[in-house]
Amino acid sequence: MEEIVYSPYFGIALSILAFGIGVKLHQKWKTPLCNPLIVAIVLVAAILLLFKIPYEAYNVGGEIINMFLAPATACLAVAVYSKLAILKQYWLPILVGCTAGSGASMASVYAMCRLFHLDESLQVSLLPKSVTTPIAVSVAESAGGVVPITVVAVIFTGILGSIVAPLLIRLFRVSDPVAAGLAIGASSHAMGTSKAIELGEVEGAMSGLAIGICGMITVLLSLLIL
Amino acid sequence: MKIIKQVGIVFSICWISQVVEKLLPFTFPASVIGMVLLLLCLLTGILKIGHIQEKADFLLSNMAFFFVPAGVSIINYFDILKSTVVQLVIICTVSTVITFGVTAWSVKCTMHLLNKKAQKKEKEHC
Repeated sequence: MEEIVYSPYFGIALSILAFGIGVKLHQKWKTPLCNPLIVAIVLVAAILLLFKIPYEAYNVGGEIINMFLAPATACLAVAVYSKLAILKQYWLPILVGCTAGSGASMASVYAMCRLFHLDESLQVSLLPKSVTTPIAVSVAESAGGVVPITVVAVIFTGILGSIVAPLLIRLFRVSDPVAAGLAIGASSHAMGTSKAIELGEVEGAMSGLAIGICGMITVLLSLLIL
Repeated sequence: MKIIKQVGIVFSICWISQVVEKLLPFTFPASVIGMVLLLLCLLTGILKIGHIQEKADFLLSNMAFFFVPAGVSIINYFDILKSTVVQLVIICTVSTVITFGVTAWSVKCTMHLLNKKAQKKEKEHC
């Protein structure tokens, strides 16, 4: 009986089913708290724990899904390329903003990790938490971090960013849509970008660009310090 | 055949980037090398956007789904999470606000300087 759950189809089908339920719930309630990824992770984890299915069994299918992460990251290039015109027009503010933002994110995480005496593996897991999940995971992985902690931190940051973005715009008195879009993308990647698109076309485009650019800058910065 | 060709192109780029990762003297994530390679191919015209459009749309629009297994593996790390959850929440929240503020402020300053420069240029022309 044990070996039926060791089929790759089991993990894949379970993941798709759970994610599908997450998408449905998100459409129904339209709140960032009902994020499809969070719903899917909680559902799958609950089923594994409830039926005492070993994680290794689920991961036979999980590894096949993981394989799509690298191609998905590579395709972020398409997202940057499709905004080439606006990138050329604002290249200097984009470059300065993304560099400063990525630097500030990593510096503040580092300082607080030291303050709380977190160990090194947690520190490198959290350092890239402001960039999009595939890049954050690659950075954490190659630096010896705990990948699931990175995933949770990135999602938490994204949800938080998409909720508080309008509030932060008022708090920091950001009137310029270019600055607002870049700040949202730099602080809360793709999940923030979905909010930025609601705020306006320029905000959405800038936020989308910031995902890819901040991702690359964060990789470069992590090379320098790790 | 169109989709399978696109899958072939994207997977080839991923494989080449893994080879590059092995050859590089420092650690640089292969997925990001793939992103840079693909961007270069598009910029130089080696690849047209039409060569990969559908595959890229499929991957980008379902991005979140591919992280389900990575997220689920958190069940192996419950004990780490339990003892540090308060610190993690504080770190994520504070650094999100700082990142937002620093980015917005530095963009504002850059735009301000650029505008000043443009105005100065205009004055010189008059």
